[in-house]
Amino acid sequence: MASNDKKVMIIDDNPIDLKINSKLLLLSKLFNDVILCQSGEDALSYLRNNVGNKDKLPDLILLDIQMPEMDGFEFLDQYKKLPKEFLNSCTIALLSSTLDFSDIKRAEANPYIVTLLKKPLQPAEVEELLR
Amino acid sequence: MTSQTVRVLYIDDEENNLHAFKASFRRQYEIYTATSAAEGLKIIQNLSVHVIIADQKMPGTTGVEFFKQITDTHPDPIRILLTGYTDIEALADAINHGDIYRYITKPWNDLELHNSIKNAYDAYKTKIDLRNKITELEKTNDELNRFIYSISHELRAPLVSVMGIISLVKMEDLYRSSGEYWELVETCSNKLDYYIQKTLQYYKNNKVVSINAPIDFKKLIHEIVELYSYADKDTNFIVNIDQDVEFIGDTFRIEVILGNLISNAIKYQKENETHKKVNIDIKVNKDTAEISIKDNGIGILNEHLEKIFTQFFKSKNHHGSGLGLFIVKEALNKIDGKISVSSDPIDGTTFKIKIPNGQ
Repeated sequence: MASNDKKVMIIDDNPIDLKINSKLLLLSKLFNDVILCQSGEDALSYLRNNVGNKDKLPDLILLDIQMPEMDGFEFLDQYKKLPKEFLNSCTIALLSSTLDFSDIKRAEANPYIVTLLKKPLQPAEVEELLR
Repeated sequence: MTSQTVRVLYIDDEENNLHAFKASFRRQYEIYTATSAAEGLKIIQNLSVHVIIADQKMPGTTGVEFFKQITDTHPDPIRILLTGYTDIEALADAINHGDIYRYITKPWNDLELHNSIKNAYDAYKTKIDLRNKITELEKTNDELNRFIYSISHELRAPLVSVMGIISLVKMEDLYRSSGEYWELVETCSNKLDYYIQKTLQYYKNNKVVSINAPIDFKKLIHEIVELYSYADKDTNFIVNIDQDVEFIGDTFRIEVILGNLISNAIKYQKENETHKKVNIDIKVNKDTAEISIKDNGIGILNEHLEKIFTQFFKSKNHHGSGLGLFIVKEALNKIDGKISVSSDPIDGTTFKIKIPNGQ
């Protein structure tokens, strides 16, 4: 199965949500590996360290917006400097509990973000993204 | 502060009057004098005075003309007009255009003038105090609103984690593992989430400026029905939309209004009804959109009909938040819409709305 070797990265400063969402995604069998990052910095250093190693790179990144120090949008500013080849192979969706209009608008305007998923995460919506 | 010094400007081309005025009042007030409107203007440009007394008869600019000139630039000082003889025309003009507080005839009586200045200053102070109070209130109100907004978001984040855990419990087949406890947790979480979402909706309705855009009612109703009937597939929707002209309206508020009414129509169905149905009829012309939402649900008691749009009104037997219809009404107020309701326990409830077409 093609989806079986897919990897997802979750970036969220809240450890509880990180645990819940990684479990949800593993149980949904959409991915065989979940990379957990508690900050944008963590995620960037992981991506930079593995940029030559295709097996370690995620196919999908679920990104929280509101995080201390580096928020979701600041992460994206750094993310887009990564090699093109990786950027083309990876999809980013925001994952947030926000109902804030301006956040939603900003997300829609960003070319790297395909959609904004609202927490609680619904595996069915993620599945749709992978199609 | 000692009871504040009252600053009075007196403009008169007759210097004798200026001297006499100073002699009578210099102990009570801080006095500035000018012999012409131009000179007077210079003074008020550099200094804020509380009361301005101007003589009507002056060469060049008259007292009333001077007051007219400064209506926009210096609205705050209270104006008193002095004149040597009763000139009805000047008086009418002064009252109508110069925003005059008092009219005093020359030669003045010291006590009368003194009282007038005192009253004028009180009027000035009241005006300024009121303005400061309003600014203060607006600020407090704004802070309160922002607080509600932030706190709603903060409250929602951990709640959403709880809802995530419930999803996990379901996926791992544990939902029935401890009697009905998980189901109860889920019901409570959903209710809490509903309250938070309504709070945010209310806040946004208050804050967000209207953005008018074309509205395709067919599409909008379809989306709303999809969204709210997701959890309850029993209700049959009969939608009839007659729109062949463009409708321009505030998408956000119209969505809020229709969303609340349609979700209510689904929520308040009779439990044993086998043909749960909701009729949605929309008629759009170049002036208005007329919308009717009719259900065959439990209806609203006659004595409750008047109260359903008030904040936190809920009927005893049902589990509403008391916010939905209140928000509908508030949102309609913002877009000049109207709503009426008729209901009885046998046939159900009909809401009729009229929204002006902004095209």
